[in-house]
Formats: sequence, C-alpha cells, structure tokens
Amino acid sequence: MNTDEQLILAFQTGSRESFAELFERYREPVYRFFRRRIDHAARAEELAQECFLAVLRNSARYEPRSTFRSYLYGVAMHMVYAERRKAGREVSENEKLDRRVDGAGGAVTTDAGIWVRGALEQLGSDEREILMLREYEQLSYEEIGALMRLPVNTVRSRLFRARMALKEQLVPAKDGD
Amino acid sequence: MNRSLRHAFDAEEVMAYLDGELEPTRAAALAGHLEHCAECQSLAKELRLVSGRMLNFEIEPAPANLGPAVLAENAANRAEMTKAAGSGWSGASRWWELVATRKVWAFGAAFAMVLVVAGVASISELGRLRNPPTELAATDSREPAPASTYKSWLSDESKSQLQSRETYTQQRERSALSSSLAISQPMVAPTPPPPTSGGELAAPESVGPMIVQTASLSIVAKNYDEANAAVQKLVAARGGYIEKLDAQAQSGDSRSLSVALRVPAKELEGLLVDLRKLGHVEEESKSNEEVSAEYVDLQARLKVAQATERRLVELLGARTGRLEDVLDVERELARVRAEVESMQGQSALMLHRVSYATVQVELSEEYHQKLQSQSSMGTKLRNALLAGVQNLLDAIVALLIFVLNYGLSILFWLALFITPVWLIWRRLRARQLAKSGSSFQTT
Repeated sequence: MNTDEQLILAFQTGSRESFAELFERYREPVYRFFRRRIDHAARAEELAQECFLAVLRNSARYEPRSTFRSYLYGVAMHMVYAERRKAGREVSENEKLDRRVDGAGGAVTTDAGIWVRGALEQLGSDEREILMLREYEQLSYEEIGALMRLPVNTVRSRLFRARMALKEQLVPAKDGD
Repeated sequence: MNRSLRHAFDAEEVMAYLDGELEPTRAAALAGHLEHCAECQSLAKELRLVSGRMLNFEIEPAPANLGPAVLAENAANRAEMTKAAGSGWSGASRWWELVATRKVWAFGAAFAMVLVVAGVASISELGRLRNPPTELAATDSREPAPASTYKSWLSDESKSQLQSRETYTQQRERSALSSSLAISQPMVAPTPPPPTSGGELAAPESVGPMIVQTASLSIVAKNYDEANAAVQKLVAARGGYIEKLDAQAQSGDSRSLSVALRVPAKELEGLLVDLRKLGHVEEESKSNEEVSAEYVDLQARLKVAQATERRLVELLGARTGRLEDVLDVERELARVRAEVESMQGQSALMLHRVSYATVQVELSEEYHQKLQSQSSMGTKLRNALLAGVQNLLDAIVALLIFVLNYGLSILFWLALFITPVWLIWRRLRARQLAKSGSSFQTT
C-alpha cells in the first residue's frame, strides 16, 4: 500500500488514480474537519470540496518536506480561517465554536456530543485547535507544530493544559489528585 | 501536587507516552513506572477518559455528493492542474481578492505619492517662474537671436556665408577648447574672423585681445569719512565714475560703503594702488574676461545683417511686384534692421565694458565698541520682558499667518495620505486578529 506522500508525488507526475485514492482516504476526515468547525453542514461540505479541488489544482505546490496530511490540513485550516474572516466573525480568544444543536439534518445532537462541544468552547482558540487536531485529525505533535507554527514543546504543554481543562469540566467536583 | 519530587516523569510525559510521542527509551522506562505507580495510572486513566469523551463529538458521514465534483475535476484536463490557482475555486478566489486588494492599495498609495511629488514640483516650479533669476533675464535680452531665427530671413547668399563662417567657428571651437572664455555665448568667433568669399567680414577695428577687467576690494578704514571722500575723488581724478553706491550707517554699528566704480581700463592699476592706501585691505580679487571672440562674432553677424539689409533695400527699390511681396520684403527689412540695431547696441556695450574696468569697493569703518549708557538691572529686566512679549506676539502672529496660509493645504494632503494608510492598517489588523496567534504551514 502506497503512502500518502507516494500518492501525491505520483499524482504530480500525472497519475489520476493516485489522487482518487487520496480522495477516498481523506474524504471523510476532511469533511469532519470542516463540519466540526463550521456552522452549516452545507457550507462545510462545500469547503471540503473546495479543499480537495485546491489540492488538486495546486498539487505542484506540495513538497515532500512535510507529510501530505499536514499539507492537506494546512490548506483546510487556511480555508477555515478565510471562511471565518469572510463571515466577519471575531476570531479571538472569545471565539465560540459553532453551535450546531439546531444545525442541519444529520448533525449529532447527543448529550455527550453537546457536552464536548461546550467544553471545547471554554478553551482558548490555540489550545482548542491543538486538541482538536490531535484528537480528531490524529496529527502528531510535530505535524501540529508545523501547521500552527509552534515549537513541539509548546504544542505538548498546550495540549496537556487543554486536556486538563477538559478533565476539570468532566469531573468538576472531584479533585484529580 | 508536586509530581517532580515523587516521580521521575512529569505529567506531560505521561500524556506524550499515551499519544505515542515519547522517545522509545523514555517510553520504555515510563511503561515500567506506570505498572507500579498508582498516581500515574490515575493520570493516564483520566487522559484516556478525556480522549474517549471527546470522541462523543461525532459527525455524520460525508454527503454522497461530495465526491463527484472532485473526481470529475480530477478526470478532467490534467494539464489544468499545473496551472496557477484556477478559476472556480472560491478559496483561491478569495486569496486573489486579497492580493488584488493589496495591489489596488499599493497602486493607490503609489498614485498618491506621484500626486504629491508632482504637486511639490509644480509648486516649486511656480515659485521659480514667479521669481526668475534677474541676471539670466538680463543676459537673455542682450543675447543675439538664435541662429535659427535670423537665418530664416537671410538670403541664400548670406546663408552660405554664414554657413561657412559657422563651420569655421566650429572648427575653431574644437581646436581652442582650452580657452575657457566666452563659452557662455552661443556663437563664438575667433580672432581674426574667417575669410569669406565676399570679403565682407573684415577684422574688427580693435587690435589685440579685448579684455573686460573686473576687480574687487574690501577695505577697512580707520577714518571712514576721509576714505569715503577719497574714493570719490580718486575716481573722478582718473576719469571714472561711480556706477552704484550703497552706504549703510546703522546706529551703534560700524558704517560701511559699497561702491561700484567704472574707470578707464588703463587707469585701473593706478586706481587700485591708490585705493589700497585708504586702509587695511582685507580682500582683493581681480579677474579678466576675454571677449575678443564674442566681439568678432558679433561684428561678423552685424556685417552679414547689414549686407542683407542693403540687399533688401535694393530689392525694394529696383523691383516691382505684387503688394503682398513688397510688404513681405518690408517686413523682413524691419526685422533685419532691428537685429542690426540690437547687435550695434551689444557691440557698443561690449566696447564699453572693455574700455572701462569695473571695480567693486567694499569700504567699512574699523569697528569701535559703541558707547552704551549703563542701565540698571531693573531696566534690563523690564526691557527683556518687553522684548520677550514682543517676540511671543510675533511668534503667534507668524503661526497664525502660517496656519492661514498653509492650513487647508496641509489638511488636504494629510487626508489624502492618512485615509488610505488608515484603511490599510485596519485591514491588516483585522487579518492579524483573524489569525489570532495561530496560523498554518502549507508545506
């Protein structure tokens, strides 16, 4: 089985099948990436599609210095920021995650899901993003650092802080010690 | 809780271990530690619990229509992939929008700069035109008409004469570049003048170099009045005259006199010797400007113009023709005569400059400490206060005048500059806020 990097390099030399395979691998993850960060399901779907099209049309920009995964999520992250800017939302410490309780059909509305979303909202934007990239996108510390232009140690300490903060919300009454 | 005292591993390492991010040797050691450390086990359990809980944030499967468009694009023209960000991708479009916006702003800023530079340049140009250098204007009035102007009315014969003379002049100019004299004149003729077919351009009356002599003296005299009277007497004795006199005698200060004298050239040296006796010479300079070439050139042009004038007169008397032609000839004749007179005037002026040397005398009185009444401290303070108030008032008035004169212009330029800068700054700030300390790396 070819690695992501082999596939994208093959695609750069003209192999359409390679891109089709990459798309199949990342279709769901990329959609989930946008869906967790964007209010509307339809918009998330559009952005996921645009993300793949961007990678497809700009495949020459990929250089094998980084993993394809971090490249792909880098493009996706850029689009999320652009989308937030476009929406005129203040993306700062106080930025709230999208509230999807009343979202489009198919959105998860379980109690546990709502709790997680609420807990994530309490985190600072960097910590939240690092935690989500780790837990949902399964990126390594190094990949997260490259994506967010942060040293690996910073990524690790912020990730730990985020998890501890989430733990506190999970069991507020119980002392962790 | 102070884990570092009781554990060889800190909490972050436990987390990194669970994430598979710890280096192998450290990971192996921590695995052993975890087996018997209840506290670390508890931490690991909590971390796993958090990760587990986070998975509850589930997402529905991607819609089925997500794939076709991408795959269709993939199947489409492969060549397009290598193109720069294509149309249709809204992300790329937005990016280009941003760049385009930057370009627009850059263009706007550049345009504003050009406007300002043009404005400043035109203002300074306007100022220059309002106050043209008087010396230049005077020179222009004395200068002969440009060659192209007077050539136009010359007969063919005269033109050929002139042409031969000009050619000669150019040759001379090339061979006599070492002479720095008369280079400011547009037409330079040598001495003697060039031989011509008609023999009309004869040598000027003067023989030898024609030199305009100029001298300047700066004298400090002990007795100002005597020296002043002596200057005037000396000039009169040597057949000269005072061209310009400017005396200054401010109260409490040394008196000074600035005189421009004209004396016959041959009397110059004698006059200078006499003037030096009047007091202490602080500065003296003398310059000689040779104008032979200019003079000869002027004479040559004068002869040509006079010859043309004669021919025109003959033409007018001998031939009959249409009234229109006659009028044309008369018009030409009038122009030629004007030129002839102008050149005669220049010629006379030049001769005068040669025959009469110019001496600029700056005569000043030896400085004496002026007698001042000893005023009291109170008077001095009062005077200082009054002077201060006066200065303050003057400054306020000057400021008011400045504001009234330039205030509106300054406001206009400020508005022109600051508005785009402010808009750009706001846009950049918004973008920075949007990034909020986090960014990404695409490669």
